Amino acid sequence: MNETPLIGRLLNALKRFGMGIVNKFKGFFVALAMFFVGIVRAIRNFFQSIVSAAKENPKSFKKGLSSFFLMGLGQLRNKQWYKGVPLLAVFVIVLLVEFISGDYIYAPGELQNYPPEDTLYFFRDYGGLFTRGVWGFLSLGALTIGMQYRGEMIVNEDFAYNWLQADNSRTLMGEGVIIFVIVAVIIGLWIFSIRDAYKTDLKIRAGMEVERAKDWLRRVWDDYFAYIIILPALFLITLFILIPFVFSFMVGFTNYDSAITLRADLIQWHGLTTFRDVFGADPAFRDFFIVVLGWTTIYAILSSITVYVLGLIQALIIESRYVKAKKVWRLILILPWAIPGMISLLVFSNVFGTDGLANRLLSDWGMVEGVRTFFEMVGLLEPGGSGSIQWFTNPNNPNMARFIILIVNLWMGYPYFMLLITGVLSTIPQSLYEAADIDGGSASQKFRYITLPFVIRATAPVIITTFTFNFNNFGAIYFLTGGGPRYRTADVPQSLRGIEPGQTDILISWIYSMAFESGDHDTYNLAAVYSILVFIIVAGFSIYYLSKLKSFWEED
Amino acid sequence: MKYKVQRVLATIFSYTWLTASVLIALAPVSWMISAAFSDARRLQDVPVIPNLAEFSLNNYREVFTYRSSSGAALPDFVDSFLTTLFIATLSTILVVIFSSLVGFAVTRFRFRAKKPALLLMLGLQMFPSFMGMIAIFIIFRVFGWLNNPFYLTLIYVAGAIPFNTFIVRGFMRNVPRSLDEAAMIDGATNLQVMIKIIVPLAAPIMGFIAVNAFMGPWLDYILPSIVMPNNETVAMWLFRMQEPTPAPFEPMLFMAGALFLAIPIMIVQIYMQKYITYGLTAGAEKG
Repeated sequence: MNETPLIGRLLNALKRFGMGIVNKFKGFFVALAMFFVGIVRAIRNFFQSIVSAAKENPKSFKKGLSSFFLMGLGQLRNKQWYKGVPLLAVFVIVLLVEFISGDYIYAPGELQNYPPEDTLYFFRDYGGLFTRGVWGFLSLGALTIGMQYRGEMIVNEDFAYNWLQADNSRTLMGEGVIIFVIVAVIIGLWIFSIRDAYKTDLKIRAGMEVERAKDWLRRVWDDYFAYIIILPALFLITLFILIPFVFSFMVGFTNYDSAITLRADLIQWHGLTTFRDVFGADPAFRDFFIVVLGWTTIYAILSSITVYVLGLIQALIIESRYVKAKKVWRLILILPWAIPGMISLLVFSNVFGTDGLANRLLSDWGMVEGVRTFFEMVGLLEPGGSGSIQWFTNPNNPNMARFIILIVNLWMGYPYFMLLITGVLSTIPQSLYEAADIDGGSASQKFRYITLPFVIRATAPVIITTFTFNFNNFGAIYFLTGGGPRYRTADVPQSLRGIEPGQTDILISWIYSMAFESGDHDTYNLAAVYSILVFIIVAGFSIYYLSKLKSFWEED
Repeated sequence: MKYKVQRVLATIFSYTWLTASVLIALAPVSWMISAAFSDARRLQDVPVIPNLAEFSLNNYREVFTYRSSSGAALPDFVDSFLTTLFIATLSTILVVIFSSLVGFAVTRFRFRAKKPALLLMLGLQMFPSFMGMIAIFIIFRVFGWLNNPFYLTLIYVAGAIPFNTFIVRGFMRNVPRSLDEAAMIDGATNLQVMIKIIVPLAAPIMGFIAVNAFMGPWLDYILPSIVMPNNETVAMWLFRMQEPTPAPFEPMLFMAGALFLAIPIMIVQIYMQKYITYGLTAGAEKG
């Protein structure tokens, strides 16, 4: 009877929480939908403006048309040499690159020798950078080693006849993505050229003066200064972050797994098959994914909380009035934070090796049995073992390795929070404590109602970023345990053999070993799908958190 | 009386607790030092507390003259050290320039692509970066950039710009706009405002970014292991030395090299602790 209101309240709280999330994400999805609607609308407006331009100002429209057929021609006809010549130069360079990088000059002769109806892939055989790039991206290659083509055998490498070389799907795909970006830039220039020719012609016809080179440069420099100064950074980000991002995103939609030998096999577009495998078409993938995701979440939560709590405790103790020489204590305690993370992790992986420092110290002190019994009692070790303790290699119980990972993370991570919270403590107004003293507040009340709320409010953003950081903390696992202990081979379903996670692997380290360290089993499509999922989880979390952080969205 | 007992107990507890913390913090460090200056052949034989009687520089002698079978012109460790130094220095310069430019653009100008650009940078940061490695490897091979430290640096720069842009943005917002407006009225151009007013005011944050950009590449392992297969960096050297397979497995040299690299970085980090509250605004955290 008494429980009903409690359950009701719980359900209500849950409902509120759920609605809160839905509301937060509703905004996000609405924004996303608006974004696409905006794109569609922009495209429609674009074509409408073309039609209306042709109707209303046919003469100016012809100028634009001349830039459509030859980039820069409209500008030249408008007597704007400073625009026309560079645009024309870009156009010529694109054509030259296409021609020089292709084998067009061989095409007429070879088409005579080989029956034209056998030339199934003209752009593959003779195309240049652009046409061959687009062909390669769409088809991911057509011919592999040993196939017959035009009565000849396709080989691994042939320097005399490019078209006899086997297609490398991976390279074609990578080049394709690059080519698409370059083509997009060129199309942008082209559209600019057409619009500019049209608009300038309108101005000429209205009797306005045509802008001269110097004025134009000055105007662009002033009005587009922001764009100009972010251009170099944008270029680097496009080349080294955006293109690789798009590429690996694409790999998730292919069949690129361990069965593919480049040049001997073709990668094929595969749609959502891999996604379906992950979400239940293949129970093995789904089960292991849930196990790894669970451990990743637990690891991220626990490692963030432990460093925070210990950092708070240390800061409070050092700042308490019982401790003298505060600076000295702090200086020594931040040493673990100052050591580069990779070095600490590698050293600790040696400390907890089977014949590492930890076991040696325990046996020197005669404590192996005592410690073993303790860990057996708390369930981190199997009962009945003997010899030195397997910290990272016990296949029956990964909890020992997980526990050590958290401890090492604590060792490395808490000094940061100790420093941070020490800084926050010094900003709490003393008047609050004085007021509490007058009201007769005890030390614990002061902590509970003044110190703690203040510290948590000041450090909340960092807790969140620490969580997302730990969710993707590759090094903490890879350098320390390498993902181990491994699963017993018998426990791994056939479809996952060779790419199974270790028992302490978090998603990110599993992805890495799956894609790069599984030797003959390297599996890229699955790794890409998991990367996309990690991306969605982390990005969703960050969007949720940023949506709360008003200052982020303020106009500058 | 009761108050006094409480006080004594609290004092004893605090000091015991802190002493224990210090011991735990120092033990691995002390073991590293002990191993680096030891003559032992195996890590198992190295005591936790350095034994001054057996002080030896043999490990360092070997580290600085170590050669892999390739027979490089310079000793391997020195070689990788210089390569990494080059990468770190260049990346510092470029990151400071680029992220202050972008930070300046997004705080001082209104332009249409601003919000999408900021969101894009934020989003791209959240994708597991090494999944882009296959693509980066292809780009590097197509353009012939493999084993070239300059292009590796550009990847670091590209990766550092988004995060540092947000740091610069957080800082520059607090630089009053009236300063640049006054300068504009006096006829200064955008470029002059940036160079003569904003950059000097933002000097502290530039220092913070510079140090971070310099530290970043030192112990990064994954990226160089993929785009610099023949041209090592110190992180690759360290990792290789402590992995049981494949050869060479030289954990003693690993300890010596690790200590050599850790000490300058530790000094910088300790010096940098006064900037730690920037983390509150930008979410900076050490990896």
